[in-house]
Amino acid sequence: MSQRPEGIPGSSLKGPFPVGAYADKLRAYLRERARVQLFGEVFNLRIHKVSVFFELRDGDGALPCRMWRDDFDRLGVTLEDGASVVVAGGPDFYPGSRTSSPHFSFAVTGLRLAGEGDLLAQLDLLRKKLDAEGLFAPQKALPRPALPRTIGVVTGEGGKARDDVLAGLRRRGWAGRLVWAFAPVQDRRAAPAITRALQDLAACGEVDVIVVARGGGSLADLLCFCDETLCRTVALLPVPVIASVGHHTDRTILDDVAAVSCSTPTHAAETAVPFHCAQAREALARFARRLDQHGRRAVLDRARVLARLSRAPAQHVARHRSALHQSLRELRAAGRRGVASREALAATHAVVLARKGAAASAEARRAATLERLRLALDAHDPERTLERGFALVESRDGGVVTSAAAAREAGAVRLRFSDAAVDATISQEARHA
Amino acid sequence: MSDQQAIHTYETATARIEEIIRRLDSGEAGLRETLDLLREGRGLVEYCAAELEAVGQGLDELRLDELVARLEAGGR
Repeated sequence: MSQRPEGIPGSSLKGPFPVGAYADKLRAYLRERARVQLFGEVFNLRIHKVSVFFELRDGDGALPCRMWRDDFDRLGVTLEDGASVVVAGGPDFYPGSRTSSPHFSFAVTGLRLAGEGDLLAQLDLLRKKLDAEGLFAPQKALPRPALPRTIGVVTGEGGKARDDVLAGLRRRGWAGRLVWAFAPVQDRRAAPAITRALQDLAACGEVDVIVVARGGGSLADLLCFCDETLCRTVALLPVPVIASVGHHTDRTILDDVAAVSCSTPTHAAETAVPFHCAQAREALARFARRLDQHGRRAVLDRARVLARLSRAPAQHVARHRSALHQSLRELRAAGRRGVASREALAATHAVVLARKGAAASAEARRAATLERLRLALDAHDPERTLERGFALVESRDGGVVTSAAAAREAGAVRLRFSDAAVDATISQEARHA
Repeated sequence: MSDQQAIHTYETATARIEEIIRRLDSGEAGLRETLDLLREGRGLVEYCAAELEAVGQGLDELRLDELVARLEAGGR
């Protein structure tokens, strides 16, 4: 141990004492304090191999607590953040060593679950109250620009959230104006500082959207984001606020009043710039090309139509002329076809007529022959001979008397004239002549 | 700020451009309407291009107190 140094000149206090010795006496002093029972809510519970650590907290303050893991396991309870408990024990102090840090804790020797956490119940009451006042709605009704020119960010200056926000904005290809409003984000100074930062950013008039980002933490760390004044301020802010402070399990009231609640600062940054700027530029170039095409077509198409229309009358005449020529050709062809068919028909008729003519001459010849024959027959017809004045001499028995001897022999004969027959008697002289 | 900017945001402008292109694609617009739509569309494209240009020049980071001081000094 080094030599004891001189004390502070003018100080009436005892010492200086070696700090290790004092820390040891302090531990002994604290351990002599009365063992008591305390109640509050468990936050930031960490179960390690040897010990269990948590904060016992209520609305006015908190104590860091430590319990041996063996003692904790023997209780057989399931402990989680927000649980309301009664603990038994007393103050203790670990004086540290050359290489380890000292720390104060309330050494817990007994623990009992005491029902739902009051703090969580109070937060729930506040949440319901703000909801009933309609304060969850105004932020969500604010229009959020797709392409904000200026983004305000409220976050801790040294936190990882800052880098995450930048990464999210880079991912969107956004490179506008970024206004940092640094504020503590987890102690009792946090809520007023964040409230003021939000009000200042909104008052600038240039900020299009505000991101409130925190890298995470226990619900106890996030209590500042459940501050009633902060939440009321956000609800009535004219600029949309994107919150990225809570977790899926620990939802802060800021998450409820904000326009959008995101799980990570990166996501919040991407939500602040919904468009990917590079893609938006490509889309805009496409739009511009389409408009140019339409611009050219609007004139060219109509010019083509006009040209077509101007050619239309001549084409119309040409079309009709062509149609007339075609009709003429068809007429001529039809005429030729008609003549040919009539010629064929006439030839047929001529053949028929020729045949008929030939038949008539044969008939005439036959008639002449018949006439000739008839005349020849008539020449031999006795009736015709009688008509010329001749008479036919017949015997009584009807036989023809052809000689004077036969007439004399017959004595009585019949003379047949052409019109009638008369009987005659051959006289004696004739008979004897 | 032009009248067009006063009326439009980036998303309403792009939505209107898409609407204009749909109308032109339909082929139902007459010549006068086509020319009016083209004039409006080109104006909106210029507006959107200016908006994109404003967030594409490089990240301009500043602290809130610097912005306040700049605004109080009347500068940008």
